[in-house]
Amino acid sequence: MELTKNITLGVYLPGETVIHRLDPRTKIIIASVLIILLLMIKSYPAYAVILTFLSAVIFMSGIPLSYALCGLKPMLPVLILMWVFQLFLYSNPDSKVIFSFWIFTATDSGMHMGNLISLRVIFLFTVTTILTLTTSMVSLTDGLESLLNPLRKFGLPIQELVMTMVIALRFVLILAEELDKIVKAQMARGVAFDRGNFIQKTKKLFPVFLPLFINAFKRAEELIVAMEARSYTGGKGRTKMKTLQMSRVDLGAGFVMLIFSAIVVLLIITIKPQI
Amino acid sequence: MPIEIKNLCHSYKKGTPFEKKVLHNVDLIINDGEFVGLIGSTQSGKTTLAQHFNALIIPQNGKVIINGCNTADKNAELIKLRQNVGYVFQNPDYQLFASTVGEDIAFGPKNQKLSPGEVNSRVLEAMEQVGLDYNTFYERDIFALSGGQKRRVAIAGVLACHPQILILDDVTAGLDPKGREEILTVIRKLHFEYMITIIFISNSMDEVARLVERIVVLDQGNIIIDGATRDIFNQAARLGDIGLELPEVMDITTKLRNKGFNLPQAVINIDEAIESISADLLERQVGD
Ligand SMILES: Nc1ncnc2c1ncn2[C@@H]1O[C@H](COP(=O)(O)OP(=O)(O)OP(=O)(O)O)[C@@H](O)[C@H]1O
Ligand SMILES: [Mg+2]
Repeated sequence: MELTKNITLGVYLPGETVIHRLDPRTKIIIASVLIILLLMIKSYPAYAVILTFLSAVIFMSGIPLSYALCGLKPMLPVLILMWVFQLFLYSNPDSKVIFSFWIFTATDSGMHMGNLISLRVIFLFTVTTILTLTTSMVSLTDGLESLLNPLRKFGLPIQELVMTMVIALRFVLILAEELDKIVKAQMARGVAFDRGNFIQKTKKLFPVFLPLFINAFKRAEELIVAMEARSYTGGKGRTKMKTLQMSRVDLGAGFVMLIFSAIVVLLIITIKPQI
Repeated sequence: MPIEIKNLCHSYKKGTPFEKKVLHNVDLIINDGEFVGLIGSTQSGKTTLAQHFNALIIPQNGKVIINGCNTADKNAELIKLRQNVGYVFQNPDYQLFASTVGEDIAFGPKNQKLSPGEVNSRVLEAMEQVGLDYNTFYERDIFALSGGQKRRVAIAGVLACHPQILILDDVTAGLDPKGREEILTVIRKLHFEYMITIIFISNSMDEVARLVERIVVLDQGNIIIDGATRDIFNQAARLGDIGLELPEVMDITTKLRNKGFNLPQAVINIDEAIESISADLLERQVGD
């Protein structure tokens, strides 16, 4: 049992591919467009287009497919549960019944709803994972800051917000590593996490989550001290070691994205939604 | 409860781009009643190896057999096994969670479903074993403890489960000299008075030389030396080759030997050093 193995969100996998070398702003914009498209899609053909696009990106980034997708593994039970809920609970007036038992009826529109929602979650997750896998923490920070900079006019502390967000993303893995150790430490004292009824199981979480939270606070405090010791005072007057520079590759990537988005939008408009 | 390890390999994050091979074909047998030091530089895989001893890690390759029971076996009683092989973690913060000392130590016995009376007597006994006074510390807030006291509570928390084998993972790291001595005294007592088999993990030669009877040296996931403490220090040159520092006492006696003192090879603790140096001095006086 290794909890950290399947955590890919917030992990950076260094590399030298085109995708790695793209300007972080390009990647963030592409990811955002994809996310928006994903939220609008209601039919399978449009998903097929996105699937093609993402497959190409994964292939070019040199990330093993199994690794790009293994982050989904821990989510599988939730996805299945969601799918089952949709299958039985969603229906519209002209849906056909597939089968029924007791008080439950499964309809075809429910099944489609389940499929589409599951696909949406899977794709949203994959997009963000690919973004963090191919972008280092520094680039991600710089890119986000640069893109959100205009909002500073409204008095938003952009640099601080971005810093907080990126650190939070990095903490996903760190906390998982801590969780791994704490679970082991309590198992060593005879906790059987898989035994007992619901209340007993819930009670067993205390010895895990209490140290986790305490250690997280400790770590946060240490991080603050470490940052302040190196004179971090927030965004004001901070300069960059590397300035971001768009290149031809970014232009190309933007162009490809544009074509793909156009196709997807076209499909969204023309095809009758499955649900 | 002998521990038998055959051809053990382990990789973290197996099957991902971050895969890291940590143990390479390790063979090891630990018998009842031994007092073993497992040492190696940081990241050499000590913790990973030791977590196989109580089935916190199930072998990916090779076998771990504890008291005749293969930990990879589907119907192995791992919970029972972990009661018998106690593991004190490198960092007590991962283990301590309750608000008071007594409550935390009682956690293990409660998991064994003992009656409240039994739990209480276990706590009392464990606190005594590690030298924490029951009346002073039972109600004490865990966060108000010093580093050394926290370690002792962590050890007591594991002792209260009544293990036959106790694994102590770097329990002296980050302690001041006084706290360190106190812990070492406790460990000696556990072995010699309470007859618990002890596996003491450390990266300090000094400590291990003074404490244990057998030393296992791990280097980058391979066991490179395994033998009785004194035999090992007789091959001092070899230890230097793999970059392990020798105990300070040996350092000094080697220097003295080079200056013409007649001292034995493996002087591993201060008492022995005093004895052999004064013997040599006495001999010289007689010679004059
Ligand atoms: N949960 C984990 N996930 C991934 N890698 C790990 C994990 N735990 C340990 N490692 C890696 O395995 C290697 C061996 O670690 P291990 O903790 O066994 O060494 P150690 O000898 O106990 O070191 P130390 O003296 O620092 O405690 C290290 O390189 C470490 O980075
Ligand atoms: Mg360790």
